[in-house]
Amino acid sequence: MGRIRVGRPQVKPDTPTHVPGLHEGNRGPYQEQVGHHEDGTADSRRSTGIRTRRHNAILDVMPNIPPG
Amino acid sequence: MTTTESRPTGRKPAQLVDMSWDPITRIIGNLGIYTKIDFANREVAECHSTSSLFRGYSVFMKGKDPRDAGFITSRICGICGDNHTTCSNYAQQMAYGIKPPPMAEYITNLGEAAEYMFDHTIFQDNLVFVDFCEAMVKATNPGLLARAERTDAPRGEIHGFRTIADIMKAFNPFEGEVYKEALRVSRVTREMFCLMEGRHVHPSTLYPGGVGTMPQPSVFTDYLSRLMHVIDFIKKAVAMNDDVFDFFYEALPGYEEVGRRRILLGCWGAWQDPAVVDYRYASMNEWGKAMHVTPGVIVDGQLVTNNLIDINLNMRIMLGSSFYDDWVNEQPFVTHDPLGNPVDMRHPWNQTTVPVPQKREFDGNYSWVMSPRWYHKETDKHLALDTGGGPLARLWSTALSGLVDTRYVKAANGKVRIQLPKGESLPETTLEWSIPKWSNTLERDRARPYFVAYAAAMALQFLEESMELLRAGETKVFQDFEVPDEAIGCGFHEAVRGVLSHHLVIKDKKIANYHPYPPTPWNASPRDIYGTPGPYEDAVQGQPIFEENGPDDFKGVDIMRTVRSFDPCLPCGVHMYMGKGKTLDVVHSPTYGASHG
Repeated sequence: MGRIRVGRPQVKPDTPTHVPGLHEGNRGPYQEQVGHHEDGTADSRRSTGIRTRRHNAILDVMPNIPPG
Repeated sequence: MTTTESRPTGRKPAQLVDMSWDPITRIIGNLGIYTKIDFANREVAECHSTSSLFRGYSVFMKGKDPRDAGFITSRICGICGDNHTTCSNYAQQMAYGIKPPPMAEYITNLGEAAEYMFDHTIFQDNLVFVDFCEAMVKATNPGLLARAERTDAPRGEIHGFRTIADIMKAFNPFEGEVYKEALRVSRVTREMFCLMEGRHVHPSTLYPGGVGTMPQPSVFTDYLSRLMHVIDFIKKAVAMNDDVFDFFYEALPGYEEVGRRRILLGCWGAWQDPAVVDYRYASMNEWGKAMHVTPGVIVDGQLVTNNLIDINLNMRIMLGSSFYDDWVNEQPFVTHDPLGNPVDMRHPWNQTTVPVPQKREFDGNYSWVMSPRWYHKETDKHLALDTGGGPLARLWSTALSGLVDTRYVKAANGKVRIQLPKGESLPETTLEWSIPKWSNTLERDRARPYFVAYAAAMALQFLEESMELLRAGETKVFQDFEVPDEAIGCGFHEAVRGVLSHHLVIKDKKIANYHPYPPTPWNASPRDIYGTPGPYEDAVQGQPIFEENGPDDFKGVDIMRTVRSFDPCLPCGVHMYMGKGKTLDVVHSPTYGASHG
């Protein structure tokens, strides 16, 4: 900090940024996120938990589009 | 000669009066302009721009989790924070070696387009136009107002005002029609922004690797319906701006000299093309050129380069009149880029911020802003590039490169053609922006509504393309990644008021060095080690004064118009000022990791 007079730091600069074992959002396990498929597509379970199969596309060739 | 040449005239003996404005109002942050005005020759003899705010982002970013960078740097600014998040995410994506899915790119692009529309509208109509409104012109140039009352507005059938003075009345703050309408429009455009990025101005749904916005049909149709509501306002704004600025040129011969400086413009490009971008450093030239606003460095009206790798490597952060110690004796972080090119010690990747608070002396150090320069190999000069307030450099660079060829925006032969669809009251309109003769106050202001139109036209295309993806079921918006132990990254984007770059170095999964370089350090920079003045200083220094008032009731409206034409935003330029006697309590509450140390 140059020649600026500064106080004692409240945070230790070597505090770990991440504690092992803690969930990290950027490493999303697909199996734990209902409605999301490995290939990036999704089905109606992403949007609702009620009668999900009735809200899916009626044919396999149709895309699953969120209801909003 | 890296600055604007002085204007030779038959001169009277100088009659110098010190005039200063500190802080300047209707901008963000703390900017002071100190001038010496020569009232005998009616021009500004000398100008210094200074900032009394220190912001230590590069100091306290060190040691933090790089994934937090986008959320922290967003707080740099209270109006274009999302530009920082976006740019930080670009830099992180390069460092993590990932590419977000196309839908995520479209959502980011749509959010950024709404930001440009919002920010330019509120700045131009509610802040800049106060300098051009009837009340201001009456106080500074009564003769000009009398003439405006007699001059018909050439584009009256579009905007609906009969005379130029009628437009100026509509610019009056708090009561004028344009002023009030602009506030409504900036609310609607902000809603559009929030649909895509969750919250304005610090986005809650933008992450490195993608977005958290749920891509459902209503998000896009809500955006579209709002866009169609404001599209006529944009057409009118362009017509009104052209009328008023043309009138200034005509009624005040020589007004082109106000704020004129040598054409030294920089634009780092905006809106990635999802089909091309892969965020790899090695292919940065290709995906940089595919951006929907082409990056470029323009010197004397000629395009020097539009290669982002060149632009990156030639960035230099200079000292000279700033309150910092030099870092040349520190350890460099990055000696070579991923392609093997050497990286200069003065490059943001290697910069270390060493603040040294001291007394302000105009013949020594006088600002907290450093002096970013762009090294021009051919002339071996460090150029003080400006951003022209953002839109001027963006349009100029896009027009010169002629690479943008999209459904509604086409750039070729020094022109940018923007097509806007039929709105509520006005028909389909094609607007054309041509490269102006000067880089001056009025052209910087004039480019702004044109760029709002540009953003609206691009938003229409992004909407069409994203809805096609949605209909095909391509709704993936996030790419998983792991933080590498060591990596470097850089992000290039356009903040609303111009160039924005973030440079990141990761070591041990933590930030080792982080330097955001937003537009205002470029524009508000003080004199560097070679004595080259910064763009504000250069533009104001030597400009003629058209104000009719004498030294006693001098308002300095011409100088204010020049400074505001750059859209100054100091918080990004320079950190914490607590004032006298205020104590800042810091409470650190670690949830996990408390056991450490």
